[in-house]
Amino acid sequence: MDRNESCLSATDRMIDMMDVGVFAVDRELHVRSWNAFMVAHAGKGRREVLGRSIFEVFPELPRSWLQKKFDRVFALGAPSFTSWEQRPWLFRLPHNRPITGGVDCMQQDTRLVPLKNGDGEVALVLVCVFDVTDAAMLQRRLAETVTALEAERAEQQKLIARLAEAQEQLVQSEKLAAIGQLAAGVAHEINNPVGFVMSNFRSLEQYLDGAFALVEAFDRHIDLLPDAARTAIEKLKSDMDYEFVADDARSLVAESRDGLERVKRIVADLRDFSRVGETDWQWASVHGCLDSTLNVVMNEIKYKAQVVKDYGELPQIECMPFQLNQVFLNLLVNAAQAIEGQGSITLRTRAEAEQVVIQIADTGCGMPPDVLRRIFDPFFTTKPVGKGTGLGLSVTHSIIGRHHGSIAVDSTPGQGTTFTLRLPVRQAAAQSTADREVQAA
Amino acid sequence: MNAALLTEEQNEALQEIANIGMGRAGRSIAGVFDEFVELSVPRVREARLDSLTEAVAGLIPEETLTAVRQGFFGRVRGEVIVVFGMNGCRDLAGLMGYGDSLVAADEDELLLDVANVIVSACLGGIAEQLSTELSVSAPSVLASHVPPAGLFGATREAPDGSGALIVEVNFRLERHSFACSLLMMLPADGVGAIRQALDDFLASF
Ligand SMILES: Nc1ncnc2c1ncn2[C@@H]1O[C@H](COP(=O)(O)OP(=O)(O)OP(=O)(O)O)[C@@H](O)[C@H]1O
Ligand SMILES: [Mg+2]
Repeated sequence: MDRNESCLSATDRMIDMMDVGVFAVDRELHVRSWNAFMVAHAGKGRREVLGRSIFEVFPELPRSWLQKKFDRVFALGAPSFTSWEQRPWLFRLPHNRPITGGVDCMQQDTRLVPLKNGDGEVALVLVCVFDVTDAAMLQRRLAETVTALEAERAEQQKLIARLAEAQEQLVQSEKLAAIGQLAAGVAHEINNPVGFVMSNFRSLEQYLDGAFALVEAFDRHIDLLPDAARTAIEKLKSDMDYEFVADDARSLVAESRDGLERVKRIVADLRDFSRVGETDWQWASVHGCLDSTLNVVMNEIKYKAQVVKDYGELPQIECMPFQLNQVFLNLLVNAAQAIEGQGSITLRTRAEAEQVVIQIADTGCGMPPDVLRRIFDPFFTTKPVGKGTGLGLSVTHSIIGRHHGSIAVDSTPGQGTTFTLRLPVRQAAAQSTADREVQAA
Repeated sequence: MNAALLTEEQNEALQEIANIGMGRAGRSIAGVFDEFVELSVPRVREARLDSLTEAVAGLIPEETLTAVRQGFFGRVRGEVIVVFGMNGCRDLAGLMGYGDSLVAADEDELLLDVANVIVSACLGGIAEQLSTELSVSAPSVLASHVPPAGLFGATREAPDGSGALIVEVNFRLERHSFACSLLMMLPADGVGAIRQALDDFLASF
């Protein structure tokens, strides 16, 4: 403690004891007073600093900047400020948390206050140093918390989006499963009766052959009959147009068997559809998928549209065939539904490098841009309630996605629509690129 | 606003005080910057607090602005807002003793320093005319790098119908692209003090 302490006036003693650093400098920035706070925190006593330049007392001060700041206070006679937010500290003073830590040195706000003499000239500048370490730390912690919260919120938003996506896929796979079960049930129910009707028809054909052979045998000996009986039989024959009936009966049976064959094939295709849930990768022919799907939907199409096949040479591709059936079904049904009156649907396939390209083009109503933009959205439909669920293209889109392929659409209102699918021939190559993307994300 | 805050006579007196005060301020700022400062003729007007954004619209024809606020007190109380365009402000770094490579925190501090100089000078000029002293609080950033419409985004909502008396001056440094606007705002609910001060000023002639 300095010896002249006892000579301090009451006001000086008040300033001295304030819990704020206070010291005065003159025009040369030499220290003229130095309060107890400064003694305690700067670790320098009054005798050590009085009369010395502040740049000697605090060698780390930014010299030219601070010199200008003081110059302005002297020139303008108005105070100047620094704030911890822009400048955490001006004077390197130790902080009051040697144990709990958290800062490098005392965080401070400072004021440079002009002290004028009797003539209104600034004679001294009073430097006040406020210790705002606690507030600054609190503020920074708050700011960090806010940043962390914002990051967390962004993460949550992402999770919510992913959840929505997952839910959409769930809805779609449920729809697939429902269709599959329905198809499986129908296929089973039809398969049994069709089976025995077919075997019955085979027997019937044999019986008919036998019956006609019998009639022919009788015919060969008709002359042996008495005239009256012969005339009666011949009348009966001509009344029923026997020659025609005999001929037609055979072809009726043959045609029916043909029809039954077709029913059997459709039932088999339907059974394939009942396996839409199956996600086995197989090497399969795109043309095979297209044809069996056409079989299933031909009934819906044939009265409206002529189906034109323009098939190229395609390699087998690695795919989930039952899922591709689903894709073709959706696209073919949409195409048929888009056609009012008569039109055509063209199926074009081409091989291209490591891809196959499949186009399904219709001469239907086409779509305006605002419809086109939304067709892949789940539940988007322009069809009346009960007719469309709006899931067809959304399912299609996700199946193509799973195949690492692409789907593009080109539509002109009033003229028609073309969907173009591209599917990689082998999945390994396509998949590893996709996996890399997932890892990078 | 329903009734005018000042009588015509008081209004003229304030205009006169602002003219003289700002002239003095211009000279002291020029002294500090060692450069000639162009100052617009101060404009005295009234504005509603809930339409401050419109009141300051168009002051600085730039897309990104920073605003600094500073309170003042003494015989009259109020707040000063200084609006900076971001284009020329780096020009001031040298004048204010900052190095050439300003980082973001430095830029805010630079503008706080500049605002403090301008505000102190202007308040000093006006206080002198009113034969009183006005003190300022530490300046703080009101909004940093925002479009003009966002200047008052962080302020509390003003009560309906409350207004302020505004003295507006525009600054320009002759040899730099730097420009800023100063708005000295006196809240309507404390307008009695400024009326009294203006009446005293008028009586002193
Ligand atoms: N080939 C097309 N021509 C014209 N519009 C089409 C065509 N394909 C799809 N669209 C439009 O896209 C919409 C969505 O098709 P999507 O297949 O997803 O659902 P949907 O056919 O309405 O219902 P469903 O779930 O029964 O398939 C259709 O409602 C229709 O407006
Ligand atoms: Mg559909």
